[in-house]
Amino acid sequence: MNNIDAIGHVTGQSVYLDDIPLQEGTLHALAFGSDIANGKIISLDVQTAENFSGVIKIFTAKDIPGENRIGGIIDDEVLFARDEVLYIGQPIALIVAKDDYSARKARKLIKVTYEEREAITDPREAKEKGLLLFPPRTFESGNIEDAWSKCDHVFEGRADTGGQEHLYIETQGAYVYPLENENLKVHSSTQGPTVVQKTIARVLGLPMHRIEVSVTRLGGAFGGKEDQATAWACMAALASRKLHKPVKISLSRPDDMVMTGKRHPYSSDFRIGLTKDLKILAFETTLFQNGGAATDLSPAIIGRSLFHITNSYHIPNVRATAYSCKTNLPPFTAFRGFGGPQAMFVIEAAIAKAAELLNIPARIIQEKNLIKENDVFHYGQTAKNVHAAKSWREVLNQFQVENNTKEIEDFNAQNPTVKKGLAMMPVCFGISFTKIPMNQARALIHIYQDGSVGVSTGAVEMGQGVNTKLLQIASQFFSISPAKVKIETTNTTRVANTSPTAASSGADLNGNALLDACDKLLLRLKKTASKTLKTDIGSIEIIDEIVFVSGKATSLKWKKLIETAFLDRVSLSAVGHYATPVIYFDKTVEKGRPFAYHVYGTAAITAKLDCLRGIYSIEKVQIVHDFGNSLNLMIDLGQVEGAVVQGIGWMTMEELRFSKKGELLSNSLSTYKVPDIYAAPETIECKALETEGPELAVLRSKAVGEPPLMYGIGAYFALRNAIRAFNPEAHIGFDAPLTPEKVLLSLYSVTKVAGTM
Amino acid sequence: MKYKRKKPKTEKTGRISRRGFLKGAGITAAGTVLAGSGVLKLQAQTEEKDKTLGPDAVNIKIKVNGHVRQLSIEPRTTLADALRKELQLTGVKVGCNRGACSACTVWIDGIPVLSCMTLAVEVGDKEVTTIEGLAKDDRLNPVQEAFMEHDATQCGFCTSGMIMTATHLLEHNPSPTEKDVKVALSGNFCRCGTHPKVFDAILDAARKM
Repeated sequence: MNNIDAIGHVTGQSVYLDDIPLQEGTLHALAFGSDIANGKIISLDVQTAENFSGVIKIFTAKDIPGENRIGGIIDDEVLFARDEVLYIGQPIALIVAKDDYSARKARKLIKVTYEEREAITDPREAKEKGLLLFPPRTFESGNIEDAWSKCDHVFEGRADTGGQEHLYIETQGAYVYPLENENLKVHSSTQGPTVVQKTIARVLGLPMHRIEVSVTRLGGAFGGKEDQATAWACMAALASRKLHKPVKISLSRPDDMVMTGKRHPYSSDFRIGLTKDLKILAFETTLFQNGGAATDLSPAIIGRSLFHITNSYHIPNVRATAYSCKTNLPPFTAFRGFGGPQAMFVIEAAIAKAAELLNIPARIIQEKNLIKENDVFHYGQTAKNVHAAKSWREVLNQFQVENNTKEIEDFNAQNPTVKKGLAMMPVCFGISFTKIPMNQARALIHIYQDGSVGVSTGAVEMGQGVNTKLLQIASQFFSISPAKVKIETTNTTRVANTSPTAASSGADLNGNALLDACDKLLLRLKKTASKTLKTDIGSIEIIDEIVFVSGKATSLKWKKLIETAFLDRVSLSAVGHYATPVIYFDKTVEKGRPFAYHVYGTAAITAKLDCLRGIYSIEKVQIVHDFGNSLNLMIDLGQVEGAVVQGIGWMTMEELRFSKKGELLSNSLSTYKVPDIYAAPETIECKALETEGPELAVLRSKAVGEPPLMYGIGAYFALRNAIRAFNPEAHIGFDAPLTPEKVLLSLYSVTKVAGTM
Repeated sequence: MKYKRKKPKTEKTGRISRRGFLKGAGITAAGTVLAGSGVLKLQAQTEEKDKTLGPDAVNIKIKVNGHVRQLSIEPRTTLADALRKELQLTGVKVGCNRGACSACTVWIDGIPVLSCMTLAVEVGDKEVTTIEGLAKDDRLNPVQEAFMEHDATQCGFCTSGMIMTATHLLEHNPSPTEKDVKVALSGNFCRCGTHPKVFDAILDAARKM
């Protein structure tokens, strides 16, 4: 089934936040942010700006009727800085004007004096100074101290990954207007309507039921609108509440890039120990997460880093410690993969380093250590329905990796200045929010008297196709035409207390809640049918909108059945609820079963490198991925392709740069490069692994949003192999992204610097 | 479906940067830059040769998707804003407002332009086509159909710009090579990473057109 939103997209009819028709008298809001990355606010003068023509009012921290607090997990984030600023762009005031132009002009007239302090941007430096956002966490299994002596080879190193700008093409925004009785209606471009609702209530000092949050769709999010859409909605809500006017805020691209958080940069130390037959016996790592100036979602992200520190491998002795370091940068936040990619890069770097020093291909080590059925992850969960080795073998077989490797060797032998490299990248990613209470969802179904169906859930459509999947679930369950089902907007008055649509779990959680609601309704309808047809309920089935009795079609059709049920005063509405069973986690010992299931897959990535200029292309990405029993393979394949392109971008060309003073240097599309149609791989082939799919995935269709992003990590190692084909002595640090600039420097580097590789 | 093909236009739209324009270009001075555009007509209409255009609103006529519309806009208004805010043609998307993402692509006399980098007053008597004007009698054009068929959309925000660019390509080059498609689409930003499917969709549409 095609994506139900496609028709709106190709005709320009799809409505995003900025397309909502504005009410008469709508005001426009613009945030004023700090010019410095660290310091005390000595004085703030908004008077001149407030007197500027067209400006209605300028709001600061003192205008907040409730709490000036927006931190979700740890209460360390303010809506408006009052006494101190901690990053460049941190909102200090909100200008509300009759139009955006006046607000922009007035913004330049706000005067702040600061007592500037030294900015810290490096996570290791922050750690040295004791600047942590929260206490470190350590995951441990086996006995790491004893294990080292049993290793024949031990290697150490350092691995760094840069941040990543989300660059959702629709910027952050919100539109808020007063309803009667001092209620507020909020349209927000958010993945988490309830987070927005709850935080607005807190900032305004109102109960949650006075705030109605509605989301139609997002123009991309990728995690960037899980937590960080909230502040903008709060600002618009504050202004709307105070001025009794509709207020809109829609960030300009430069404001969005400067003021919002991105994927966390990580810097890590690792030590890996192997036996002589290349079994990884021990792995120890310390992760320094650059958390930025406030906690945001960092604790959950660091948790996932620790869960995925061994990627697809089974390592009996593990110790991983993670520090979330407080720096003077915007609070880093969720981004597709949520700390998993950063962790997986570390283990892959450790394996690559071991392989290079042992002078063997990394894939020999990778393959020997893939996790097997009933192995126990270092966090205590027993691996079930494991497809790590299976997907690995399928890639080797289906894409003739051995032949390709031979061809690459021949190619490299014949071409002195163009080299190719191939890397394998297995992925194992756990599905569930690692915060257990978030693994719940609800759905509301109405069947209308004419037999048409309206479905509301907590899922937010952001391009991942969740609404299409929900529509399929309802139409398949009732066995009615998809045209009879409509997926409604996501609205907190219809479905309350929603988890954000994140962690790849939107379809699983909301789909299962929807199934629960469908189940209740179908039972009622079968009762009606059995009463009408005077037969027992067990013999009733509905197939293609026709009621069957004991396998025989009757004259009773869906529409008539609904009409009959209504006249018989049967409720045609139902609420479904789902809470993922079996998952638990004990943080005191860092053990449990945090994931409903794992997604497995393997990619072979081939890179081609121009060794004179340092420029490269990713020629081929060949994947075998475990979709389970995919509900919609077309959508799922699109998710794989898109995630791979994003992952490759993160590893290669997307270089997030800040100055020492904490100023974002890569602050536009011209300085921050994301893959375009040229940079996207020439071919992405993805084959579905034939698996049954786990029971805990909705209709056994596995979650798909995040896991394939990590195939992109293979691009880094493929490029690295190409560089080494040109210059085996090349000094290449494990420092992503591997931009053409870095590649060129590596190609002609000759001296290995001890201990820094 | 019957789809009207436009002849290639060699004459480029007279262009000025909106910033340069805002920096007090008087209408006489601007008139030389804008030779060939409708602002000259405006000048003749208003007969205020020495007066700076703006900042107050001016009245213009603009032909969009076959209909002539009257607008009262400030001269600094971009075409994207005029289409989106004044004419509610919100299929035109603004992703960067800096000419870097091409989400705002529309046609002026059949030629793709970035509507965020074009002033509405520049358009003059030329004809603007937006994504809303592509489907004729509610029938999608082959590129729109191919985008649906190949699932070449995810979040959809870049889609209208992609389709405007791609349709223009196929109208002037009915059998493009892979390279032609890449060259044409190279400016169209897509963060969801739909490129492989966009590529398939356009090549498939070319075969069907």
